[in-house]
Amino acid sequence: MTTVEKLKKILVEDLNLEELTPGDIDENAPLFGEGLGLDSLDAVELIVIVKKHFGIEIQNLDEGKAAFQSVHALASYIEGRLSNG
Amino acid sequence: MRPTDGTDARQKRKSWSARSIGSRWQHRFFYALIRLAGRRAAHVMVVFVAIYYVLFRPSVRNRSRPYLSRRFPGRNALLRLWDSYRITVEIGKVLVDRAALGILGPGQLTVRHSRREDLLERIREGHGLILVTAHAGCWQFAMESLRMLETPVSLLLHREEGDVDLHIFEHGGDDAAFRIIDPAGPLGGALEMLQVLKHGEVLCIMGDRAMGGDRSTIEVEFLGGRVRVPFTPYQLASATGAPVVVIFPYKSGPGNYSLQVAKVIRVPEGLGRAPEAYRPYAEAFIRALEGFVEERPYQFFNFFDMWNQEPVR
Repeated sequence: MTTVEKLKKILVEDLNLEELTPGDIDENAPLFGEGLGLDSLDAVELIVIVKKHFGIEIQNLDEGKAAFQSVHALASYIEGRLSNG
Repeated sequence: MRPTDGTDARQKRKSWSARSIGSRWQHRFFYALIRLAGRRAAHVMVVFVAIYYVLFRPSVRNRSRPYLSRRFPGRNALLRLWDSYRITVEIGKVLVDRAALGILGPGQLTVRHSRREDLLERIREGHGLILVTAHAGCWQFAMESLRMLETPVSLLLHREEGDVDLHIFEHGGDDAAFRIIDPAGPLGGALEMLQVLKHGEVLCIMGDRAMGGDRSTIEVEFLGGRVRVPFTPYQLASATGAPVVVIFPYKSGPGNYSLQVAKVIRVPEGLGRAPEAYRPYAEAFIRALEGFVEERPYQFFNFFDMWNQEPVR
């Protein structure tokens, strides 16, 4: 399973996106606002989720903002952090 | 895709306003009076200005009526007028004191802390500290006084565009005692708030006023009616392990303010995003607030109808 696929599955399950399946999520659509429609409450959970499932703490604000652009951006961020140890 | 809970929704829901009821010239008049004649002279002027507002500006009375009618049920018309006058004088004096502190500098007022060591102890836990307060007394004094913690303090605060009422630090051009995180910013300021706590710093949030949409609030009982309060502070606590401390700043005498540490709330980690999980902690906060308004009814400055599902100005 790719990081993108894993992320989609985690988002649906951990954020209780009951009306969506992982296949419904466009990996390039914005996570917040228009797109997946997440909000600030979900941002808090998203950070918890990334730490819980991937052992990664979002280091700073700029990184977080860039990573939270889309599922694809978040997956790239996670892969980058994992490959750097 | 799910409906969003972003800025547009917030604008629609947010029919209350944090803007001052005074005009620009009225503020300037008081600032000049404080400079020329001092804080006490401005307090005397507040007494007369409050009479004008209460008698001739029904909109001002209407703003405090939802709260006062619940805090003092069954009052006759005269006593209702008196209650409205008392709360208008109290907020006027607090605003004068706030301006005096900014204009004339420290030494004008003293702030007493009963449990400074308690707060320092919580900070030393290393998960950051979430201070939850309300529109009580003068929260800006509380922020100023938190300099004694020697730890950076951030405050979740949405500044109204064009508001003529200045913060303490804006009078003298000094550095603010606290950093402001705007809930209207990217992701509702969530990343900034988490960053603050991750660095072991202090984050202050108003527990009686929702900054976001309905999704970030939970309904609890307050003074015999249902109100919606934010559960964001407790969600952040669950996500970070930070302790929550409920504080209420209040005017304790002429020239004196006190910071009451009302309650420490511990939120278990990993509660997730379901609002119901946070009900006990929101309830704990609102019970502490009820205790505060019981003791100091004229120092709760929440001038909008909290009990109305669609808040009114």
